[in-house]
Amino acid sequence: MTPSREEVLLVVADLIRQVVDEDWIKEVEITMDTSFADELELESIEFVALAEKIQAHYGRRVDFAGWLAAMEIHEIIGLRLGKVVDFIVACLSTSQ
Amino acid sequence: MAEVSARGVRFHVQRLGTPRPDARGVVFVHGLVMDNLSSWYFTVANALAQNAEVLLYDLRGHGRSSQPVDHYAVDDMVEDLAAVIDATLGGRPVILIGNSFGALVCLRFACAHPSRVHALALVDGHLGGVGFAEQMTATLALQGEARDRAIARSFQSWLGRHSARKRTRLAVKAQELIEKTTLVADLRSSLPILPQDLTALRVPTLALYGENSDLRRPSEELLTAMPNSRVVILSGCTHSILWEATAEVRQMIVAFVGDQQKSSSL
Repeated sequence: MTPSREEVLLVVADLIRQVVDEDWIKEVEITMDTSFADELELESIEFVALAEKIQAHYGRRVDFAGWLAAMEIHEIIGLRLGKVVDFIVACLSTSQ
Repeated sequence: MAEVSARGVRFHVQRLGTPRPDARGVVFVHGLVMDNLSSWYFTVANALAQNAEVLLYDLRGHGRSSQPVDHYAVDDMVEDLAAVIDATLGGRPVILIGNSFGALVCLRFACAHPSRVHALALVDGHLGGVGFAEQMTATLALQGEARDRAIARSFQSWLGRHSARKRTRLAVKAQELIEKTTLVADLRSSLPILPQDLTALRVPTLALYGENSDLRRPSEELLTAMPNSRVVILSGCTHSILWEATAEVRQMIVAFVGDQQKSSSL
């Protein structure tokens, strides 16, 4: 069964907390509307580590690197959690 | 996190694309101090990985690699590169792509190990001509606010702007690299590349420079010594062509690598 948006959000939020691994991130509320750049202030190298974790978690069903390859930098900078979640859910639902 | 342990350093590596027996692996090398593999990851590497096996790594002391106290000379970085390739892609010749200081590491690697390099793409590369070490370390040896300003000028992050958290963390990391390691002294002691070092180097080379980059003229002079090199100037750009003309740089590198894969006699 395809996981819900909320379930995927919980997974991605947990992966973000693993990557940042600092006290402040444990307290931050991470929602569909949270921005990677403006709110979480992820460094670019942290985003790479997050992409690696998402890929490792979902495996071949989710081509996260391929998705990023089609995006320009300003689009990646503007990403919010919800868009990443929707992409993952779409991949998982078509691979059922 | 994927890592390679070699030469006493834990190197953070990212492998993209699928291994292909009919194609050369492509290795990206990033620039100095405020840079890491993410600048390639978000600009060219993922696009290239759609058709090639791609390796990215953080130089020693940079990004998510460990920060040893010493061995930061250009030749140390060249041997780091050899060790990282050995541990990942093996002994097959590769296509090397370097930005800024990373281009110098790639060119030096090609001089030291010509049989291991199938082609080179250099993006506004410091090519290590006479006087390069003094120029490069002049900025790094500045103190306090002067250094922070110089670093801020020379570095453009993927965001193009830095929040307080990022600015602080980048500055701390840069400060540690400059003050707690032998980086500056090691770069000063690195020998320049001379035209005669390049005359016998027949590796196909694409060199991209910003029209207004300080590195353009000295590098063009040096590259005329290389028999199979081609220089392309990007109009209106400075040293930061990877950020100022991302789409153009990506397009030219993808086309160049595609051509070189075709000419590959595996």
